[in-house]
Amino acid sequence: MMGDHGDMVPYAELESFFSGLVATAQSRGITCAITSGMACVHFGVAATTKDCDVLCDAAKSDDFRALIAGTLLRGLSPNYRGHLSPPLDARWMRGGWTSHFTWRTKPEETCLDIFGIAPRGSSPWDRQLHGIYACPNVVAEMKRTNREKDWPFATALGGQMLEEGDLEGWLHLHDADILRRFMKHPAPTERLMGLRPLLGLAPFTDTLRVKRLLLAERAFWSELDELRIRIYQKHLRPYVSAVRRASSGRRDLEVAESHALRLECALEHLPFHPLRDYGLEQMVAEAKANVGVTVGADVVEWLPAAEYNFDGL
Amino acid sequence: MNQAGQSETRVTLTAAQRRRCRRIMRDFHVRAFGEELARINFLPEKRRKQAVAEMIDHARSKGVKLTRPALGVTP
Repeated sequence: MMGDHGDMVPYAELESFFSGLVATAQSRGITCAITSGMACVHFGVAATTKDCDVLCDAAKSDDFRALIAGTLLRGLSPNYRGHLSPPLDARWMRGGWTSHFTWRTKPEETCLDIFGIAPRGSSPWDRQLHGIYACPNVVAEMKRTNREKDWPFATALGGQMLEEGDLEGWLHLHDADILRRFMKHPAPTERLMGLRPLLGLAPFTDTLRVKRLLLAERAFWSELDELRIRIYQKHLRPYVSAVRRASSGRRDLEVAESHALRLECALEHLPFHPLRDYGLEQMVAEAKANVGVTVGADVVEWLPAAEYNFDGL
Repeated sequence: MNQAGQSETRVTLTAAQRRRCRRIMRDFHVRAFGEELARINFLPEKRRKQAVAEMIDHARSKGVKLTRPALGVTP
């Protein structure tokens, strides 16, 4: 079966391709940055990803889309990926939607996800770039997902921030042993404790209590993420059908052609700001109420306010 | 700028403090990701990226699918 993979685009080539794409975009005044898995690899936390996630200034959506459309990989032009991808357009990017592109390489496609808002971001991601990468703080916030596998990445990035003297790293340690061992480090500030009440338990010697509150925190972010995804997906169902019909089932339309019909479908089916329409405070309240049920009502007061984690929305 | 628009909270660590941080994090990487990934994660950047590339390409050559589904929203 090895022959099936003979034409596989090596990871090094993919990384070089995406790095080049983002560097070119930046050189053209398009503010953007690689985040998620490839950023983790860059920061020293190995992730098994071959595709790329990019944050892009929503206002530059048209420019970035044009750049992508004209960027070939092994002679292949990109397409929007599947019928599900919302259009890469400022109006939807500002509302937190994600656009998907693909280059039809063999045996696996090469995929690029683009979003204008960093999920759970607490500050403007575009003011904290590390070259072509989003900063560890933003990447770590994005790792507070409903996927178990993401959490050690956040902790690893938080530890690295502390090692570099950035006390914001305290916000990203999600492990009782690590919290306790870092107490010989400069302690968390009052402001950080305000953002993350659990840090008030320093020096974290009450291990069982710390572990319980860590579980509660994780459950909270997970609930919030599930709710966020549910809100978006509710709107996507009719949109997907509309795009499929409009494109006659074709997935190989050129980006410009596909974009035009996606815009029409999105205008009919995708609200610009579904989370804001739902209510950000309402989302936080629901997530906390769920944690009150699953973990216990007494932990709710220890959960992060999360009011700052919707930056840009 | 960081959380809630505040300026960054930065301190200068002594060499001993940095070494201690590194020890703590190395232990964590072993526990969270396993010995081999921990070893890779603490390599210098160029060798680290090369090792990650080899690992990913090996997995792909054995048929491991690493592409995530397109959801219209990023998890």
